[in-house]
Amino acid sequence: MEILRAEHVSYSYQTKYQKVEAVRDVSCSFEQGGFYAIVGESGSGKSTFLSLLAGLDVPSEGTIYVQGQSLGSMDRDAYRLNQASVVYQSFHLFPLLTAQENVMLPMEFKKVKKREAAERAKRLLERVGLEPRILKQFPKMMSGGEQQRVAIARAVAAGGEIILADEPTGNLDSENEKKIVALLKDLAHEDNYTVIVITHNPNVAEETDHVFRMKDGELTQVR
Amino acid sequence: MIIKNSIRQLLRMKGRAVLFLVLLLFASGLFSVGRGFWIINQKKTEAYENTFMTVGLVEQKAVAVEKIKEWDPERGDYTMYPRQVYGSYHPVEVLDFEGAGYLSGPEKRVAYGAYLPDYDVYGSEDQIGGGLRLDFILEVTPLEDGVMNHMKAQVNKVWKGTGVREGDIVRICDHYNPEPGMLYADRTYVMSLYDASGNHVEGGLEFCPVDIRSTQVGADGKLLPDEVGDDYFCEEVTEGFWESERSRRWRNWIEVYDYPNHIFPVTGTCDIQLMMPFYTGEAYLVSGREFTEEEYAQGEKVCLIPETFARKRELSVGDQVRLPLLVADHSRSAGINYSIYGGGGYVYLNAEGEPYEVFEDSEYTVVGIYGGTAGEMDEYGMGYQEVVIPSRSVKNSDEDNIVFYSPMRGSTTSFRIENGTIEEYLSKWNRLGIDDIEITFYDKGYTELEANISNMKQISRILIAAGIIMVLLVLGYFSWIFIIRQRERTAVERSLGFRKRHSFLSLFCGIFLVMLLGSAAGCTAGSCLAGRLSDGLGQTVYYDTSFGNSGRALTAAAASQDPAEEVSGSPYPAAFQNMLLVLAAGSMIAGAGIALNLRQEPMKMFGSRKE
Repeated sequence: MEILRAEHVSYSYQTKYQKVEAVRDVSCSFEQGGFYAIVGESGSGKSTFLSLLAGLDVPSEGTIYVQGQSLGSMDRDAYRLNQASVVYQSFHLFPLLTAQENVMLPMEFKKVKKREAAERAKRLLERVGLEPRILKQFPKMMSGGEQQRVAIARAVAAGGEIILADEPTGNLDSENEKKIVALLKDLAHEDNYTVIVITHNPNVAEETDHVFRMKDGELTQVR
Repeated sequence: MIIKNSIRQLLRMKGRAVLFLVLLLFASGLFSVGRGFWIINQKKTEAYENTFMTVGLVEQKAVAVEKIKEWDPERGDYTMYPRQVYGSYHPVEVLDFEGAGYLSGPEKRVAYGAYLPDYDVYGSEDQIGGGLRLDFILEVTPLEDGVMNHMKAQVNKVWKGTGVREGDIVRICDHYNPEPGMLYADRTYVMSLYDASGNHVEGGLEFCPVDIRSTQVGADGKLLPDEVGDDYFCEEVTEGFWESERSRRWRNWIEVYDYPNHIFPVTGTCDIQLMMPFYTGEAYLVSGREFTEEEYAQGEKVCLIPETFARKRELSVGDQVRLPLLVADHSRSAGINYSIYGGGGYVYLNAEGEPYEVFEDSEYTVVGIYGGTAGEMDEYGMGYQEVVIPSRSVKNSDEDNIVFYSPMRGSTTSFRIENGTIEEYLSKWNRLGIDDIEITFYDKGYTELEANISNMKQISRILIAAGIIMVLLVLGYFSWIFIIRQRERTAVERSLGFRKRHSFLSLFCGIFLVMLLGSAAGCTAGSCLAGRLSDGLGQTVYYDTSFGNSGRALTAAAASQDPAEEVSGSPYPAAFQNMLLVLAAGSMIAGAGIALNLRQEPMKMFGSRKE
């Protein structure tokens, strides 16, 4: 079932010196439970496209549809809270909250009771392969792989169906890279999440179901 | 949840949060001390403005001093005395110049003499101030021909005076005249004399002449010519004298002999504070009220009476009192002319030898009764039983009843200006180039106090400025720490679906709590400290109550009253205001920082635009 679709999406912005066309007439669709990779060189426009899919920015032209509904007509904050979560290369956990609190935060924001949120956070952290000792640790005390798992658990905690990951393994060693890719794959195939990964790492792309290549803002499906 | 989470995250930066709290407390305290000082000093200034008054006393200076000589029969030579010479008399209008900025005046007060024949001012017909009158009107016959130098004469008739009887032998001496006139033994003379027993070593009653020539002056201040000339005190009594025209002045003189017993002073003013006893507090209201602005302006028939007058005449506030104005002294104050020992010692005959006629006779309503010392023969004091009226209440001209006239004197001419404007006034006055008028200012030490308050205000300004700078620096720095440097947090929250207002609150609540605590504690402590410091400094404030001209000081009761003693008040309202100001500044800075964070879209903030 198609969950996310881009139709003739373009995005440009003005720098001090020139107009940059970061995304050019991109059309593509993403199925529920699919594991997708968007590859490309640095500056090709992949992350910009991801921010458009996350509703963090608005296309200059074209439309993004979420389950058939135009994202432009939706409450984009609510979309991110309920349907799409973003995972970043640099993890971006809240440094002053413990692992468990980081995962609880989106749930608490959605008015889930504290005790229930704590229990679900604990289960989610277990689900992403973290030991219980991590629960009360602050991000600074964790390894990069652990932080990224917490970030993925937090993305899942919000209860959405789409996970948008921007270079999720970019700061990880190869062992952790494999674990994170496997986790994302499991989330797609076992838990029916739609996982879209931005990467320039061919090893990561190889693990996905579908691969798109972005070059100079234009997107083409490779596989 | 958001508020709790915000505070939780802030408190996990304990060191910085505590440092923020302490620094903000100190900065708020500094600001609050400064503002507290400012408010207290502002209140003090207002209190002083309402209490202090600046008056200028005006005196025309003599252009020269001439020596006058008076015969000294003891030494057999002349004694020289200085007498001031004035070029011309400046009218009070000379003080009306552009930019003078008078609050009241300038005025040259006139000491009127009110004549009530049925009111015995001093208690009895013959006594003034508890003693016998020493002036006489006698008819005498010399025992032998001779000049009036200690010559013996027999009293034929006592027209006026007590203690001398017909048949008494007295001595007549024109004591200060080097060439006394000749009297003859077979003639009778009517004389105006005073008891000068003791002038000569030889005992016995001795009488010196009293000049009965009129002192009447015109409206221009010049002495009106009197047909009798100088040193007129004696006239030969011939057959049919008392029925003749020649005796008219003497009959009149006998008629007005009793006037001083029934004359009391009435002074018109446009502001009682221009009268130094009221200014210094020596004279003060014991009941009733002062005149209102309207009463001054409209010249209402209202008056303030002294306690003695009220008691003797059984008057109280609201009663009516009749004031028939007989004479007008344009020279000296009632304080010097009317004392408890006697007053109003004028020649009550005009230049034509006729008794003065009352030029205005009105009923006045007593609006206030004043107390304090009076009648001490002090030029700057109150006269005995002196009644005060609005100057404009005298509607009729006194030009035919002026008994003395002199240039402006400090005790009669004054004005009032705004506190703290002496320098400004003098600079404008000096530009007029009038050198023979001297103005002496009294402000009860306001200038001194103003300088102190001005210094305190300067300190306040410095403290306020330092406080504001420090508050802004602390707020700015910690907003940078807790907000700008947390912009990734905002980005993550936004990417998690937090709305902008939620992200705003997420950062704002924690910092606001610290601001609230810091500013509340700092401002309260600062305001309390300002009050205490101000009280401490206030004890050293110089409060000058002296009045230099008469070399006196205020009464102890008046001097001990510092009008700004109680201005400190509760520090809490000011502390609350200061806290609100600090919180407002903090909220604006924090809000601006958060707004900056929110302006950037999360992906851009993470630097992904380069993709």
